[in-house]
Formats: sequence, C-alpha cells, structure tokens
Amino acid sequence: MKELIKKSTLSELGMGLKNKEFSSVELTTAYLEQARAMNGQTAAFITLTEEQALESAKKADELIASGKSKPLTGIPLGIKDNICTKGIKTTCASKMLEDFCPIYDATAVARLKKQGAVIIGKTNMDEFAMGSSSGTSYFGAVSNPYDLTRVPGGSSGGSAAAVALNMCAAALGSDTGGSVRQPAAFCGITGLKPTYGAVSRYGLIAFASSFDQIGTMAKTADDCGILLGAIAGKDEFDSTCSALPFKNCLSALNRGVKKLTIGLPKEFFGDQIDSSVKSAVFSAAEVYKNMGAEIKEVSLPDLKYAVAAYYLISSAEAASNLSRYDGIKYGHRSKNGKTYEDVIKNSRREGFGKEVKRRIMLGNYALSSGYYEAYYSKAVKIRQRLKTELDEIFKSCDFILTPTAPTTAYKKGSVEKNPTQMYSADICTVMANIAGLPAVSTTCGYDKNGLPIGMSLMGKAFSEATIIGAASAFEAVFERREAVL
Amino acid sequence: MFDIKLATHLAELSKISFSQTELQKITKEMDEIIALMDTVSDFEITENSAVNPTVNMDDIRQDIPKKSMPRKDILKNAAQKTGKAFTVPKVV
Repeated sequence: MKELIKKSTLSELGMGLKNKEFSSVELTTAYLEQARAMNGQTAAFITLTEEQALESAKKADELIASGKSKPLTGIPLGIKDNICTKGIKTTCASKMLEDFCPIYDATAVARLKKQGAVIIGKTNMDEFAMGSSSGTSYFGAVSNPYDLTRVPGGSSGGSAAAVALNMCAAALGSDTGGSVRQPAAFCGITGLKPTYGAVSRYGLIAFASSFDQIGTMAKTADDCGILLGAIAGKDEFDSTCSALPFKNCLSALNRGVKKLTIGLPKEFFGDQIDSSVKSAVFSAAEVYKNMGAEIKEVSLPDLKYAVAAYYLISSAEAASNLSRYDGIKYGHRSKNGKTYEDVIKNSRREGFGKEVKRRIMLGNYALSSGYYEAYYSKAVKIRQRLKTELDEIFKSCDFILTPTAPTTAYKKGSVEKNPTQMYSADICTVMANIAGLPAVSTTCGYDKNGLPIGMSLMGKAFSEATIIGAASAFEAVFERREAVL
Repeated sequence: MFDIKLATHLAELSKISFSQTELQKITKEMDEIIALMDTVSDFEITENSAVNPTVNMDDIRQDIPKKSMPRKDILKNAAQKTGKAFTVPKVV
C-alpha cells in the first residue's frame, strides 16, 4: 500500500476502489499510518481524526459495494483547519479557537462527505491564514517536506506538506493572497485557487471576505480539478457564490496548449525574483512553445502597487471579520478582567498571536478617520485599475505565466520576523485574489538545493478548465521528484 | 510617523489590550508596515468610484424564514453560559 499511495492519482485510487483492488478501509489505514509516521517531523496535521475516518471508510466501502460510488468515494483527504467540520475541532491554528468545535460543516466539506470522501484530519496553517510560512501556528511551525529546516510556505503549509508526503491523497486549502499556490510551490505539489465565487465560502472561517476562496491541493493538476468539481457550484448560504453553471473543469484536459496564447508579464520577472526561479519559468514557457503555444510579452504597469493595495484591503476586512472574537459567544475567554470591556480586550490579547494583532491594527488604521481616503479608498481604486489591466491582457492571451513565488522555500526564522519582507514576497500571487481570477501553481523545476520551483498559470474568470489543461500538459512531460524524508 | 499615541488609539479601536512594552514594539513594527503601505501614495487616481471588482451579488436568495439552529448547539462553544444564555460580567 505504501507504494500505491505514493504513485497513484485520485482517478487511479478511485478506479482501484471501484475494481475492489483494495478497500477504502485499507487505503485509509495506509494514509493514517503515513500521517502518524510523518507528523512528528512535519507538524502537517493539527488533528488526526482516526476513528471517524475509519468509520467513514467503512461506509464508503458499502457505497462502493452497492455500485453507487462517486469520483471521491473512499478517498482520504486533509482539510485545512480554517474550514468548519461538524464535530471536529477547527482551530484556525489559533489559541483563540483552540477548543472550537463547529456545529455545522462548511459547504465544501458537506459536498465531499456527500461523495463519500474520507476526512482523515485537519491540517496546520498560519494563524487565521495570515502568513506565508505556516510558522505563526499556535500549535507549532510546519516543516518543508524537502528540507525540514525550511518553511513549507503558507498559509496552507500543512495541507501542502501532507499531500507532498502522502499523508493524504489530496487536501483543501484556502487562498486569500496566495495561501494555496505558494505552499504548493514550496512543497513541490499542485495548488489551484479557483475563480472568486466558484466555491462557497460558507464555513470557511472569514479572513478577508472579498479575497477568500477555498482551493484544492494535490500531486497533479487533474487531481486539483477533480476535487474542484466536487466542491464547486452555487450555494444558497453564500450570496457571492456564482450562479453560473460551473463547466466541467477537466473538459480541456486532452486539448493541451496548441493554439493558446500565453502572456509573460515582464514585471513578474524583475530583480526581486531569484535567477533560478526566472530561468525555470522561462524554460517552461519554451516547453509550451514547443507544444504549439504562442508566447507573448505583456505588461502590468501598476503591479508595483499590488502588495500594498492587497494588504490594506485584506487587513481592513480582517479587522472587521475578526471583531466577532469577543470571548463571549465562542473562542478563548480570558479569566482576567472584571468588566465586559476588559474581558473582550484581554480575551483578544491572550487569544490572538502577534501577526493577527498586526493585521487588525493595520486594518483599523486604513479604515480610521483621517486615513481612510489615503489608504483604504485608494487601495480599492488600485484594485479596480489592476483588474482593468488584466482584462486588457486577457483580450489577447488565454492565460499568463509567472513565478509562483520570488524564491524557493527559505530557512525557518530567516524571513518570518520581518513582516514587510514577508508581505513583499506575495507579489507573485496577490493579483489573482485582487482580480478574483483562477490560478494554478505547479512545479516547473528544482534549484541547486533540490528545492521545488513553482510556476503559476492565471486565467480569465471561470477558465479553470484551460489552466488545469495547460498545467496538466506540462506535468505530463516534466519529471517530478518525490519528497523523501 | 506611526507613534505610540496612534498605536494606543488603534489598540482601543481594535479592542486589544497591550502592555507598554508590547505597545512600543508594535509601534515600531507598524511604522515599518505603514512605510510599505505608503507605496499607494504615488498612485494617480483616474477611477471615479470605488467598487469591489470581484464580488457579484445579483442573485440573492429569497428572504424566507427558516428554523434556527438549536439553542443548546449555539451555546456549545461558549466558555461561560447558563442553560439559556451566554453570560457576561454585569454591565449595569
């Protein structure tokens, strides 16, 4: 089973289950064994739900035996710990929600359960998804599967590490400014951030509501598409969820990239990007050219404003969203303070970590009297401009190809203590969230230390089929290296 | 310049208590963060209105009342409660 879970795609696992080559209980047991063996070194999971997982696996086997299985029936999955799971702790990697046990499932989780998927645990992350190293978790920093002394990226670093090390077949993450794609790049897997509105946010613990999207993480783009197909679609509990019928995101898989036009925005290849990263992405562009795609240089002149605009708006939304944590209704409640006001302030002081406090302070700064026009209002206008510039590019390109991150995975403790350096490194990913567009990151090379390099394919709204198809075409000719611990 | 007076004001707006040492530290960090945010000051605005370009809420569900979640479930995650309500320190 160990070799099987290392090599198989979701389709292959589904086929094996359907053909009774192995049962879901056997498959789930194998993933749980691997998760237990690897979790001490990586801290990829905050919670392993062994009992419930095996119970779900038994039910999945019954469903398969009855001939009513669906693509994800019996497949063991990891769920990021900011996505609500009924009866399973959902901590957001925060002391604030250390004991929080949701009374309902997120829509994405409910849809996976409806397919008979098996949830094997809740994955570690940056606290409240605020970070890009998975080092701000209250439950301990996650390690990179290719080098334990390095970060796995974030905020969905636990999901990325778990998939890379075969602790689950695939996982859900969430992406507010790159939190699915950047850890996917650092951990050598594939991560998809869908179009804003493609997946319901109901039950995704809110960080920045106009950016947040649940995304999918797996070893291949096809698998990300299969998972997306299971969770996407209109939901009456999320009014921002699109009523557009979601096209089968695997429909373009066999089409490749012939006759597609790929844009390379020159601003994404500046001095802040490591030469090894640039070189790998340019080589990938060459691969696409040889497959019959047209490569074209394009420009996003206002990209330089993207990081600041993203942090101003997302922090403003976070300050508002996180005001619900008062220690009264749920979450950590301080034992210090005699007045109502003191209980709230002390609960928030004790419950939130440093980065979360910084974001709340920044958000309230951007929204407060005297600063609103200069910061928040201006950032929203920048957001509009950037969207317009991208729309212009997509008149002549099917997708744009960029690095997913300026560097490969860095050493733990080397960047995390400098917030502005961390924020600036989001330059390659925030655009997809600013404009609400789909983007997929897949591995396109390795640096001199053997660390994975990710490239990002960002397309028009609801063009998941195109970018998944193109990523898949590259994966078919690229030799991916497994992480070995 | 982000100073300690502004940090104190924002801490109040944020409903977070800080010690003096913590406040001094976050003041320095916020000063650096605001310097990065000041990148937006160079941006020349030509846009007339500010609307979020990604969110489309044209298709809002009918406002039909439905049964709420059971009270005992709602109270389940509260640290302090009676049988029927959340409890808070006396306010009046």
